[in-house]
Amino acid sequence: MKLRGGYNIFLQGRPGSTIKAMPEPKTLYLPLSSKRFRFSAIHVADGQDVALGDVLATDPNNYDVPLLAPRAGSVRLGQVEDTVVLENIAKSQEYADTNGRMEEVQHVERTFGAAGAQRRRLMMLGAWQFLHEAHSGRLPDPLGTPQAVLVSTLSLEPFTARGDVQLQARLLNFTRGLEHLQSLLEYQPIYFVLPDIKSEFASIVRNHIRGYASVKMVELPLTYPYDDFAVLARSLGLSSGNGPVWALRTEGVLAVDRALTAGKPCVTRIISIGGTGVVSPGHLRVVSGYPLKCITDKHVFEPHPRIINGGIMTGEAFGPGALGIDTECRGITVLPELQEREFLGFMRPGSERSSYWPCFLSSMVQRFAERLTTAMRGERRPCISCNACEEVCPAGISPHLIHKYLYRDLVEEAAAARVDLCVECGLCSYVCPSKIDLRAQFVEAKNGIAREKAEMLETKARQESTEEVNA
Amino acid sequence: MKLLLRVVEKIRPHFEEGGKFHAFLPVYDAIEHFLFAPGTITTTAPHVRDPIDLKRFMSMVIVALLPCVATGIYFFGLRFIALIVVSYAAGLSVEALFSIVRKEPINEGFFVTGFLFPLIMPPAVPLWMVALGVAFGVVIGKELFGGTGRNLFNPALVGRCFLALAYPVQMSGSWLKPGAGVAGRLLQYVDGSNVDAVTSATPLALAKGGEYVSLSHMFVGSVSGSVGETSALAILAGGMFLLLTRVANWRTVASILISFTALAAMLHHAQPDRFGPALWHLCAGGLLFGAFFMATDPVTGPITSGGKWLYGALIGVVTVLIRNFTGYVEGVTFAILLGNIFAPILDEMVFALRLRRLKVEG
Repeated sequence: MKLRGGYNIFLQGRPGSTIKAMPEPKTLYLPLSSKRFRFSAIHVADGQDVALGDVLATDPNNYDVPLLAPRAGSVRLGQVEDTVVLENIAKSQEYADTNGRMEEVQHVERTFGAAGAQRRRLMMLGAWQFLHEAHSGRLPDPLGTPQAVLVSTLSLEPFTARGDVQLQARLLNFTRGLEHLQSLLEYQPIYFVLPDIKSEFASIVRNHIRGYASVKMVELPLTYPYDDFAVLARSLGLSSGNGPVWALRTEGVLAVDRALTAGKPCVTRIISIGGTGVVSPGHLRVVSGYPLKCITDKHVFEPHPRIINGGIMTGEAFGPGALGIDTECRGITVLPELQEREFLGFMRPGSERSSYWPCFLSSMVQRFAERLTTAMRGERRPCISCNACEEVCPAGISPHLIHKYLYRDLVEEAAAARVDLCVECGLCSYVCPSKIDLRAQFVEAKNGIAREKAEMLETKARQESTEEVNA
Repeated sequence: MKLLLRVVEKIRPHFEEGGKFHAFLPVYDAIEHFLFAPGTITTTAPHVRDPIDLKRFMSMVIVALLPCVATGIYFFGLRFIALIVVSYAAGLSVEALFSIVRKEPINEGFFVTGFLFPLIMPPAVPLWMVALGVAFGVVIGKELFGGTGRNLFNPALVGRCFLALAYPVQMSGSWLKPGAGVAGRLLQYVDGSNVDAVTSATPLALAKGGEYVSLSHMFVGSVSGSVGETSALAILAGGMFLLLTRVANWRTVASILISFTALAAMLHHAQPDRFGPALWHLCAGGLLFGAFFMATDPVTGPITSGGKWLYGALIGVVTVLIRNFTGYVEGVTFAILLGNIFAPILDEMVFALRLRRLKVEG
């Protein structure tokens, strides 16, 4: 294990270990886009009645991953932009008739064998979307062959749904899910990541999975962002050149179990609600599309909150048009927007400040959870080459160097400095004393480079095809 | 404070786009943000930020310099306060002028330069020379390169180097004998007109003639020399603070001290009557001050850890060579400026190695 950088930010409002079920909603708002997916192919008509588990839409760019109806109800399209609204939610939960689609599964089984059929079933029942390709972060190809599978129970970003909470509630389902995962593979290893492999809990898990030869336990320190799949894959020596690495978290394994054991669609999610502006931080059991307002009305007390989809480091603030939880949401973090300006703030001893830099009195005491706001806490300045960004970088690249390249528009040099290895954890932006938005710059540069590459491939393909025609 | 904040916010429109004093916005900004933390909020992830900012970062250096200021006033009198005031006034005017022309905010970096500069001046130097030196250092050493963060050379050292080369007589004739007695020169204001107090001999100059000042005097600081550099004790106290807050990097300091001591010890071992002992040289002149406060400037030094080791070694070795083999009695200024020249090259070397390793990753 070669781990670099990393840093834990302690923020008030860590979600507790309770999981509360939210009351049944009257209306669901299913966003058509989430972090990875854009469900652009709509399969239902306005006013149509759907059953639980029916396909509402699919994403043609991601192996037709489906957006499933989380409850039975009637569809409203075009009412809200970029959202499928599901009205008159039925009390009884009738499952959609999947017999018609099972024929397709049998067809797949004939072509790709039993494992292929299982994967098709996972896709249809909404469990496949819990898988990630570790290096690129995208959805893995369901018919591809991975070199290894990563299963992480960690969730280190403040704040996303904690793996340990979900695991403890349903340990049996989890180990059964691991068993199912193994049946999808031939001989590839499953790396099972735990914070402490000598703990009592780990030994219980070990007893459960004793029979599975290819499950390997890996211990990992609880430092953000070591649970990032790209960081994990790299530290385990799984290079992207040797094929894809599938990665999934606790909720993913539980979804696999639900889909393959019970054959039921996975539409329920456990999300966290935490952060400085929350009454009682904890976990919620909701269906995707659950109205955001019902959650915030109940849990947020802050008068001027910033409500973030995901954690404070990588999440995006919900826009004013966001009405429901998307299918990839792992947590909601609430921060108060900055209200007060401190008088002579930089001269204060700083006993109440939790900082990466030992420049405050608080560095003499143990690290503590701070009541953080969305304040920038300083002014934008040129880089002073303090090297803090490189110290915390888990990817082993030099953020300050790439920043200086990008500042001068030297995109090629930035690519040579491997900006593509950036895992977008946001730690460099967090520790920067000059308050440079390094993460945002790198995300932009990475997208630009990827776009350019795609265009180049396209022109190349076009040239080749014209050459063929000419020949 | 609420009242003050209201006043500040009321005046602000006059300096903003379309206001009468829009040209002076950088000056106003600097004052406002000195008093009140800026009200900016994050717009992209990460949504929270570390409490560190450049103001805090630079104030750590000023706090670390306070022991040196205290011993400076104790040994060389109240005139040192005048030196600081002149240095700040002259440097800030230049800095503000450049900010207004360039329409960029005033950078906190100057507050350190303006504090460091008088500390490396001879105590009886004429005040106009302080003003001239700091203005030269800020303009040539920093602003021409684009301001703090983009400068190649340490501005304070550029200013000092300029004065040493342009006014060698005044510079070498402005040393003071340190105050004797319990009160030192705490209540005195001594300038160059006081003939009794002025001397031309610093410990390093005396050593050229074979006369070595006692080590204990040099450790406490009761010898002649630049205001801030004489007391090894005060420098170590402030330097340790700077290392603990991680504003200064320990690798640079360790590398300078180790390389310097090693080479000086070798020379002394080879020819004890020609070269002074290593420990004596370590405490003499500006070496400690330079190692802790000048070479550790993050902007003008290398970024990489490997670069820092090489940079420190270069400075340590060149200082010994200049002190012992040239006509100059002291070489720290030149050694660090030379190190500044090499810093980007050293970084390039380390980056080239690193990029080769990164090529195969992922």
